[in-house]
Amino acid sequence: MAQKSTFGPREAPTLGSPSRALFGKMLKEAQLSVAERDFILEALRENVRLDGRGPDQFRSLNLSFGNEYGHVKLQVGKTSIVVRISAEVTKPRDDRPFDGLFNINLELSAMGSPAWENGRSNDLEAYVTHVLDSVIRRSNALDTESLCILKGVSCWSIRADVHVLDYDGNLTDAACIAIMTGLRHFRRPDAVVRDGQVIVYGVEERVPVALNITHNPLSVTFNAFNEGNNIIVDATRKEEQASEGELVIGINNGGDVCFLSKFSGAPLDAMEVVTKSNVALEKVKEINTKVDKIMQVDLARRAKLGMADESRAENDR
Amino acid sequence: MSTPLILLPGDEVPSDYLPPTKSNPLKLGPGLRLLSQPTASSKSSNHVLTATQAGLLATDAKRNTVSLQSFSNRRYIPTTNDLVIAQIHHSSVDYFHCMVTPHTAHAMLGQLSFEGATKKTRPMLKQGDLVYARVLSVGVGAGAEVELTCVNPATGKAEPGGLGPLVGGMVFDVSTGMAARLLRASSPSAEKSDTVDGLVVLAELGKKLESLGGFEIAVGRNGKIWVDCSNAGESAVKVTVAIGQCLQSTDERNLDAADQKKLVTKILRGMKLA
Amino acid sequence: MVEPTASLSTLNRADGSASYKCPATGYDVLGSVNAPIELPARRDALKPEDATIEVFVKPGNTTAGVGERYVEGILRSVLTEVVLGRERGYPRRGVVITLAIVGGGSVERGDSYLTVLPALLHTSLLALLSASVPLAMTFSSALLGVTKSGDIVRDPSAADAKAASSLHVLAFSSKGHLLLNESEGCFDFDTWELIRERAVSICRGAAVSGTGEDVAMGERSNDARLDGFVRETVEDRLHVDYAWKIESN
Repeated sequence: MAQKSTFGPREAPTLGSPSRALFGKMLKEAQLSVAERDFILEALRENVRLDGRGPDQFRSLNLSFGNEYGHVKLQVGKTSIVVRISAEVTKPRDDRPFDGLFNINLELSAMGSPAWENGRSNDLEAYVTHVLDSVIRRSNALDTESLCILKGVSCWSIRADVHVLDYDGNLTDAACIAIMTGLRHFRRPDAVVRDGQVIVYGVEERVPVALNITHNPLSVTFNAFNEGNNIIVDATRKEEQASEGELVIGINNGGDVCFLSKFSGAPLDAMEVVTKSNVALEKVKEINTKVDKIMQVDLARRAKLGMADESRAENDR
Repeated sequence: MSTPLILLPGDEVPSDYLPPTKSNPLKLGPGLRLLSQPTASSKSSNHVLTATQAGLLATDAKRNTVSLQSFSNRRYIPTTNDLVIAQIHHSSVDYFHCMVTPHTAHAMLGQLSFEGATKKTRPMLKQGDLVYARVLSVGVGAGAEVELTCVNPATGKAEPGGLGPLVGGMVFDVSTGMAARLLRASSPSAEKSDTVDGLVVLAELGKKLESLGGFEIAVGRNGKIWVDCSNAGESAVKVTVAIGQCLQSTDERNLDAADQKKLVTKILRGMKLA
Repeated sequence: MVEPTASLSTLNRADGSASYKCPATGYDVLGSVNAPIELPARRDALKPEDATIEVFVKPGNTTAGVGERYVEGILRSVLTEVVLGRERGYPRRGVVITLAIVGGGSVERGDSYLTVLPALLHTSLLALLSASVPLAMTFSSALLGVTKSGDIVRDPSAADAKAASSLHVLAFSSKGHLLLNESEGCFDFDTWELIRERAVSICRGAAVSGTGEDVAMGERSNDARLDGFVRETVEDRLHVDYAWKIESN
């Protein structure tokens, strides 16, 4: 795996941007009371979080799978997400005849938070979509060339639908974990080209195939408080609201950074970016190990049910 | 008491569950409505009461009331005389515009509706400040405005004690059902017994935290609990967090009395407070 | 017949919520209700004394399209009949119902949306109950298909629904009124009458009277009633919420 650390001009850290107020408005959540804000800041000064976690500790991660492949239910504390991966055969783009398509769809509905209006996109949606797109899609975590069936004629289009059921902070990281888990869990129908004709086999006819995942990047979001003196991971909604700024690092198990954003809020010491990258790496390894374990258990269960011949096939490959 | 009767919307309340009729009329609580009044010909009390929500039928023979207790996670709807914790959103010439529940119309709190408030001595509240207030009126019909007050209009005093601005401390969110239970538990008539509505968590916290200076608490019917432990000195933050966790876990996990005691011990130990 | 399963108040942020799984059709629907909440002022001009009901259906793995908008319209008209929008706290406010089809196949473009309708109706009802939105009554709903050979099938699978000559969704209120009748395909009035009787027995377990014609339903007349299913789901949750009260007595 030769993933380069890329710092595109858009991801360059912008220090001290004045968008803190903007952030507060775009969430449209009811504002924190003075008492809550002051208390959260005061407690963090003593290294205490409301749920008793340490600054570098994620909330408990609860992962399960639905009946279909690529149907993932994820809970991080009280943030709850369902991701569904689906595939269909389509025509590749004219300018990329060798590439399949991959899209991430995130639509925030009033289910996740009463602050979100149905059928209307908001800034948070745009922001999270941008991060997910950068960390997963643009880092080529899913090898889109492997989705090509017949050059310029036919390819797979993979779609990840993210449903936010409950929003209690850290949407980005949670969605990232859920999508990556979904992509790794998903199996698409087998398709071959015979005499220039594309034949797609039903799941009963041929063992469905796993997607070609090149690496497992995840995002880790840090929130800063008290002039950058307290920096925590996996903030809850109230912590996010009291935060002065955030730093997002997209990184994989190998330590390759594929995304880095200091999108909003108070300035952050440049050294923090370096030290927090190490924390992010540690977190990503920890989460990926956990996801691996849960996914193995699920695939083993499916194998027992006689449904997972394909997972064996994948191991042989 | 017999097993509680569960009703669904549209169900009729069986007349034998109603308090025996006296001269004074039966009072209907939330979740019930009177569909047709008894006709003049049938003199027997033939109330046709139907439920409009799903819940447990609760009757009070002494006060001659009947109501329905519904799910605890529901959104709070302002009701006259309820105690709430409201957050100032902005102020106009005569009023503070307050948030009682998120994403609903603001409630109005008169700038002079505080104990001893005059044009010169009224509190200068800013956006985000909290007040402990009573619902004075909820208005009628469409576009009705909810009005709050921090003073008893009859006496000019902050009754019951504690109404007015809440300074410092921390607010925790709980379900509205839990808030109602906590309020019943802290009502003066309930003080004699240790467990009210199956709640021992506050009594237990009070006992265990006495040595640390105790704590002050205000419960809003809108699912907010204000906790202040400024007497606890250095451990104030930890004590506050511990109280919040105890209340929220009791609520979310529907803990029974024994488990509440265990929880308090476990959390206080975890925070190195006991 | 595998009965549906459901649970109430499964979400944290919404005022009320319900999860509903129907093994026969494979649908797994999550519903949330936020009520009463403020809606932007532009929407309340028509009926200022009443609550505005908004329904939003979110498919599992496609973008919402015409089918969702169509079914939202049906749901809105049924639920408007049931919700008491004039109760205290509700006039001029919104009741926002969000339904996400989180599991099971998606309705392909061009396929009938009726197959999901009962699941969506039951989920919305349970979520409304969970949010304690005042209702005049409850209801239950059944999906029936008529095969090419004229058999009536309850909860046909996606493939069966596609092959069916007609599809019917009926909903009955807890007082026995026919609340909804949506039909698609070719059928005659006698067939519809049989469908109605079958639906009544599924939803309300009522004894079928009248026409002595025997359909392929005799052996299934012991189906658990759907209105009983709604009641049990609600009772289960109330027992959880009020465990402190029920057990101490």
